[in-house]
Amino acid sequence: MLFNSLQFLYAFLPITYLVFWRLTGKMPRYVWLAISGYVFYSFWNYKFCALMLFSTAVSYLAGRALLQWQDPRRRRLCVIVPVTMDLALLGFFKYGNFAVTNVNTVVSWVGGASTLPILNIVLPVGISFYTFHTITYIIDSYRGVITPTRNFFKFAAYVSLFSQLVAGPIVRFRQIDQDFENIDRADRTADLHTGWSFFVIGFLEKVLIADTIAAVIDPALVKYAELSTVGAWLCVLGFAYQVYFDFAGYSDMAVGLGHMFGFRLPQNFNSPYKATDIADLWRRWHISLSSFFRDYVYFSLGGSRVSRLLTARNLMITMMLVGLWHGANWLYIVFGAYQGLLLILHRMVRGKWEGLPQWTRRIATFGLWLVGLAIFRASGFGMAFALLDKMFTWQAGASFVGAGVLIVMLVIAAVIAHWAPNTFEMRHRWSPSWVASFAVLFGICLFVLYGSRPAPYIYFQF
Amino acid sequence: MKTVKTRHPAWQLGFVIPCLLAVMFLVDVGLRLMSIDPLTFRAWEALLRDRPPGAAFQPGRRYVNARSYGDLAALGNFPELRQYRPERFTTDALGFRNAPEILNQQVGAILAGDSFVVGSGVSDDETLSSRLSTLMGCVIYNAGSDAGRVVPDEILALARRLTMGHRLVIRLYTEGAAVPARPTRGEMLAAGLVARTPAGVRALAGRLRGLLTVSPLQSLSGHAWKAVANDRILPNRYAANVVRATLANGDTMLFQAAQVNNFSRRRDLSLDYWKWLRDDLTQARFDLVAILVPSKYRVYRPFLVNQSPIGQPAADDLGRLERALRAMGVPVLNLTPFLSAEAARHLQRGEYLYWLDDNHWNARGTALAAAAIQAQWPLPEDACSTSHSPAARTP
Repeated sequence: MLFNSLQFLYAFLPITYLVFWRLTGKMPRYVWLAISGYVFYSFWNYKFCALMLFSTAVSYLAGRALLQWQDPRRRRLCVIVPVTMDLALLGFFKYGNFAVTNVNTVVSWVGGASTLPILNIVLPVGISFYTFHTITYIIDSYRGVITPTRNFFKFAAYVSLFSQLVAGPIVRFRQIDQDFENIDRADRTADLHTGWSFFVIGFLEKVLIADTIAAVIDPALVKYAELSTVGAWLCVLGFAYQVYFDFAGYSDMAVGLGHMFGFRLPQNFNSPYKATDIADLWRRWHISLSSFFRDYVYFSLGGSRVSRLLTARNLMITMMLVGLWHGANWLYIVFGAYQGLLLILHRMVRGKWEGLPQWTRRIATFGLWLVGLAIFRASGFGMAFALLDKMFTWQAGASFVGAGVLIVMLVIAAVIAHWAPNTFEMRHRWSPSWVASFAVLFGICLFVLYGSRPAPYIYFQF
Repeated sequence: MKTVKTRHPAWQLGFVIPCLLAVMFLVDVGLRLMSIDPLTFRAWEALLRDRPPGAAFQPGRRYVNARSYGDLAALGNFPELRQYRPERFTTDALGFRNAPEILNQQVGAILAGDSFVVGSGVSDDETLSSRLSTLMGCVIYNAGSDAGRVVPDEILALARRLTMGHRLVIRLYTEGAAVPARPTRGEMLAAGLVARTPAGVRALAGRLRGLLTVSPLQSLSGHAWKAVANDRILPNRYAANVVRATLANGDTMLFQAAQVNNFSRRRDLSLDYWKWLRDDLTQARFDLVAILVPSKYRVYRPFLVNQSPIGQPAADDLGRLERALRAMGVPVLNLTPFLSAEAARHLQRGEYLYWLDDNHWNARGTALAAAAIQAQWPLPEDACSTSHSPAARTP
């Protein structure tokens, strides 16, 4: 079930919301949130609910054990076992066939005849997100950053909280622990308007901007070989805004839904296209993911408190893992390596870079990001090379349908992404004319949704 | 002291958007209570909405559309390729496409099968059963349905409702249609339950299902989308559903993409089903004959230009089925050679046996098919006046 689907808007959300606020007391609300999370998840594949429950139970028990045991060896075990289990699940479902394919390829390169069978694996939606929820919980419990909860339903509600379940943000337990504690004292009306404001803006970002751009560039990119240089740039530029408004829109909707239920989810996108260097961009882009890798991988490797060479190594490893997180594909790893390389280069020329005018740095940062997105969007290395070739060597080519609409959308998207305040910078107190405008646009989107299947979010595949 | 001016809650998004959702929901519900006929381009959708469980279409309905057009033109969103034609579609009290008075007449045979039996884009007097009735001088009952489900129990139950002059069932099977299968135990139980349910309750259930599953607002929104995604403003996202091909004479013909893509795929013959059908009908002293209809792509592929090679020989499923049925002793007529030859002959005159914009055969196609069937198996002269006649001749 998608946030931008009629079944969610007409059935799931109203029922969940009304029952939640009808219940009083912590426990009933925890239970209800957990149930609604599992119902929400089961709309994709009910069979995988058991997997999520298993992951939840293991992490909960690990947390309980960490509460009880002070012996360092036992405590380490309480981290290693569940984290390994989580990563094994993630590895099997997400990277199993990738590994098999690569082993087979390497063996055939050296003249062998390995025929490891390709497994018939279905990737459970959201596994990359909820396993990270549980991993952060265990590690933070071990590090003493949080006190593990004794309440299973509270923890289950945290893992399966429907607003952040399938595509994040990767909310850490400590970020909403207080909201969970105060769940019985939450005020229904306090954040209702703010919640709906976030939700509507996210909805419009997704349906009006991201999906319209996708409607033009997706068919054009299928015939990428026919694109001209201008066409290739338009498509990659379009993808840059599509992926941003798609995921930032989703995150805003998640934050809005959180507000409606008394949770303050953290900001996931802080105007990344206003970034003045690549490190700044990664501090603003998918913040919950980049901070996860920073805190649990980069810092664990030594971060920047080591030699220059080792710092560069740490950056490269971290960013390649960020790339790999996006999917079992060498292109994502190359995308991550490219980002790692940019971060290393940035560290090397930081002084000179800072001396450039701000607008130059912004444009250059965005340009470098676009090159990375050409790799990210490609369906294979052939397409990636072709797109980059078209972008940087002048080539004539065919026009594509919807180019006019795309240009209009790009202008609107650029104004919002590069200049307008983001949703966390807004006050969410709208004048009647703004409310009326939002309502009209929301009504148009709803009408649009009736006639077309809601487009899934790009990040659902990760 | 400064007073803080608070905005009236009615002008905040937390109030306006839920209200808007509620209004849209009510509009949706309200529109569902109205007829969807004005939003349909052909009878099919209009008459399927409120059909009772177990029925082919909504019983006792008459649908008239002066500008009906083909399913493929709609599916691929090609308004410029529509072939407008008038369509009159009438259903009897049992929900099949027949004149209402047919239930009081002597019936020579039951014609069962899928949409090729029902007739798509043709009027009541141009369906295969109407053509056969005219040629054979005896009423042939149109028992075609959307699903193309032909089950002995249901055929026999239907026969009991009719005045059968000749115990003959003509089973039409179209290439590319779902492979027929014996219903599962659960499906049989459900069908039995439905059959025992009073007609009024079934009608109510059909109406409820129609209200729940068909949204005119969705249809309106779909129309709006198609108007924009027209390959001028936005790319036509529906075009991939349909293959647009050019005939040697320059005309454009549409084909269902799945039909083209699966052309060379061998399919299961499902002989179990055919044996079961034959045995159960024979036990009830009914004769069974089978008509095999080629897909539009099989008939017209030789006349298309710029067709990419299909790599391997096209699977001749109908030919295999024909041989298997003959071996089983079921009289069978495979219309493939006949329609292919006729298509070539008519193409020279710029005439077609199938609609250019639809998956189905047109009035000319049904007329030719009826003539071929009549030539193969003429009904005995007393078919409409005696209670039983000998079995159809095996060719």
